[in-house]
Amino acid sequence: MSHDTTNHSTAASHAAADEEQTASVPAPWLTVMNREIGVKLGDKAFVLSTVLTVLGIIGFTVFTFFMGERTTSYTVAATDDQSLAVVETARDAARPGTTIELESVTPEEARALLESEEIDAAVTRGDGEWVLTARTAMDGTLSGMLSDAARDVTAQQNAAEAGTTTEQLAVGSQVETRTLSDEPDRGVAANVLGFVFAMLFYTAAIIFGMAIANSVLEEKQNRVVEILATAIPVRHILYGKVAGNCVLAYAQIILYGAVGLLGVNVLGRAESVGWILEASGWFIGFFVVGFAAQASIWAVLGSLASRTEDLQSNTGPILSVLIAALLVGLFAKGTWLSVASYVPLVSSVAMPVRMLTDTVHWWEPWLALGLCAAFGLLMFRVGERIYQRAVFQGGQALTWRKALKLER
Amino acid sequence: MSLAESGAAYTSVRYSPSRAGDTLEVRDLTRRFGERTVVDGVSFRVEPGQMTGFVGANGAGKTTTMRMIMGVLNQHGGTVLWNDQPIDSGARSRFGYMPEERGLYPKQRIADQLGYLGQLHGMQRSRALAQAHRLLERFGLGERAKDRLETLSLGNQQRVQVAAALLHDPVALVLDEPFSGLDPTAVDAMVGLLREYTARGVPVLFSSHQLDLIDRLCDALVVLDQGTVRLAGPVDQLRAARPEQYRLVCTTDAGWTRGQPGVEVIDLDANTAVVQPTNAQARDHLAREAAARGMIEFARLRPSLGELYREAIS
Repeated sequence: MSHDTTNHSTAASHAAADEEQTASVPAPWLTVMNREIGVKLGDKAFVLSTVLTVLGIIGFTVFTFFMGERTTSYTVAATDDQSLAVVETARDAARPGTTIELESVTPEEARALLESEEIDAAVTRGDGEWVLTARTAMDGTLSGMLSDAARDVTAQQNAAEAGTTTEQLAVGSQVETRTLSDEPDRGVAANVLGFVFAMLFYTAAIIFGMAIANSVLEEKQNRVVEILATAIPVRHILYGKVAGNCVLAYAQIILYGAVGLLGVNVLGRAESVGWILEASGWFIGFFVVGFAAQASIWAVLGSLASRTEDLQSNTGPILSVLIAALLVGLFAKGTWLSVASYVPLVSSVAMPVRMLTDTVHWWEPWLALGLCAAFGLLMFRVGERIYQRAVFQGGQALTWRKALKLER
Repeated sequence: MSLAESGAAYTSVRYSPSRAGDTLEVRDLTRRFGERTVVDGVSFRVEPGQMTGFVGANGAGKTTTMRMIMGVLNQHGGTVLWNDQPIDSGARSRFGYMPEERGLYPKQRIADQLGYLGQLHGMQRSRALAQAHRLLERFGLGERAKDRLETLSLGNQQRVQVAAALLHDPVALVLDEPFSGLDPTAVDAMVGLLREYTARGVPVLFSSHQLDLIDRLCDALVVLDQGTVRLAGPVDQLRAARPEQYRLVCTTDAGWTRGQPGVEVIDLDANTAVVQPTNAQARDHLAREAAARGMIEFARLRPSLGELYREAIS
C-alpha cells in the first residue's frame, strides 16, 4: 500500500512531489503515544498529585525512621526456667532503643495476660521446640529477637550436654509461633506491604485508566477521531493510548519506588528493608502485567460512552474489580487469598501479598502471571474490535454487546 | 483555472509545485443503517482541478457519502476510486478532510494539535508547525497559535479546522460544509485557498447549503436527494442541457405571449414574461412579434445552480 502507486501519465512529477511531501509513518502509534504522554505531563493536576505522593513517601519514610528511633518496650512472659533463660538472653542482647521486660508466670496466667493484652508474647518450652505465643499477631522485631535468643540458648544447653557437631547443637532449637486466635495471621509485614501494594495498584489503575477513557472519549466527542482515522489506522490510536499510559504508570511506580529506596538509604536503614525489595520485585512484575491487562478495558469504556457522565455508570464493573483487588490486599487471608491470587487483575495484589505470608510453589506466581497476561490479551483483542466500531458511533452510550454487533 | 483543461499552451509553463491531479470517483456507493438505505447506488466523479459542489437537503446522504469516501464508514456496496484504482488507506491519508461535526482538541494549544496532526500524516513536526503558522497567518490567526482552541470564537475554530484539513498539502479535498459559520472575509480567504489547490490540479469536493456560493465557486455539481444522485456533471454542461429561456420585457402587458406557436410561458407578470421557445424558429418568431409590440428587453436567461438544484429535486 504505497503512497506512490500511480499510473498517471505524469507519474514522474508525482513521485517528486510525494517524496518532498510525506514519508509514510512507520509506527503511527508511537506518535499517538508521545502525544498522550506529553498531554499528561502538561496536566497540572497529574503533576501535582505525583509531586504530593512523592512528598508523602518522603514524609512516611522520615516518620517511620523517627518512630524507629524511639524506645520500644516489650513485655514477655516465660512459663518455665528454660524459657526464662531465653527471654533473659533476648533482653541482654536487645539493641539500644528496645527493651524487654520479663515476667515469670504459669502457662494459665500467661494466657490470661495475653488475653488482657498486658504482655506482648509468651515463651514456652514445648516438646523439643520453642513456642512463641501472641494474642493475634506476633510483632516481627520481637519474634526475631526471641527466636535468635532461643537458638543461642538451645545451642548452649546442647553444648553443655557435650554435643559437638552443629546438627547436635541445633537439636530442639525450632521455634514455633502461635497466636491465641485460630485465624491464620497475616503478620505486620504483610499488612503494611499489602496496604502499599493495593493502594499503588488501585490508584495507578484508576488514575491512568480514567486518563485512557477520557482521552478516548474526548476524541470521540469532539470527532477528532474522524480526522485521525483518515490519517492512520484506527487501531493505532488505541495502541498509542494504551502504550502511553502504561509507560506513564510504570515510570510513576519506578519514581515512587526510587524515592522510597533513596529515603531509606539516606537515613541509613537500608539493611532492614531487604525483605521489602524481595517482595516488591514480584509486585512490580504483577503490576506491569496487571496494569497492561486492564488498560484496554478503559479504552473500550471511553469509546462506548458518548458523554463524560456515561463514564460514571459504565466504569462500575471495572471499578468493582479494582476495589476487590484493594480489599484483598488489605484484608484477605487463607483460602480467600489463595483463590484471589489466581483471579486476573486481583492477582496483581493478592499474589504478592500471599507470597509474603504463605509459602507458595515456585510455579504459582508464574501461573497467576500467565493467567493475567492471557486475560489481558483477550481483553485487548475484544477491546480492539469494540473500539474501532464504537468510537465512530456518536449519539448515545453503548453497551459492550451492542458495540460488538455494530458495523462501521 | 485548471491545468487539466488548459491545453497545449500551458504544458511548458507549469505552476509550482507542478502537479497534475488525480481523479476521485465513487461508483455505486451504497450504505444502509438498519433498514434504511441512506446512500443508494451513488456514482459521480470529482475531476482534478475542479471544484465540485455537493448539494442536497439535510439527510440526503451527503455526509454519509463523504464519510465513506474517507473510509470513516464502510460501504455496503460500490467502490471509491482514486486515480481509477480502488482507494487504499495510504492514498486516503494524503487527502484533506473536514468532517461535518468539527473535530479538534478543545483543550490543546492550536499549534500543538496542528503539529500532531501533521506528524500523523507523516510530516516532520517542524515542517508541520511551519505550515500551520502559514495557514493560520492567512486566516489572521497567527497571533493565537499558542492559545487553546476553546478560547477561540466558533468562527475562528472553524478556520483552524480548515487549516487542519490543508496542513499536509493534500492531494484531494473532501470538505463537509466548509463554509458554514464563516464570515464573508473568511469565506473569501477560504475560496482563495481552495482555488490555489484546484490550480494545482487537486480535486475538491465540498458540500454546502449556500447555493449562491456554489454558483460562484463550482465547476461541477452533484445533487443528491434521498440517497440517489439527481444531477451530476460539469456546470456548463448542466446549464447547456437545460431548455433555453428568455426574459421578455415590453412597454405594454406581455399577456400576448400566451398562445404564440412553439412558445411556453413559464412566468408572466404584467410587462414581463419568462418564455421557453421550443426551437430557434419559434424564438425568432417571438422576437419579431415582440419588436412589433414595443419590446424593451429580450434576454437569454442563464439558469442559476440554485434553479438547477430545485428543478433536480422537485
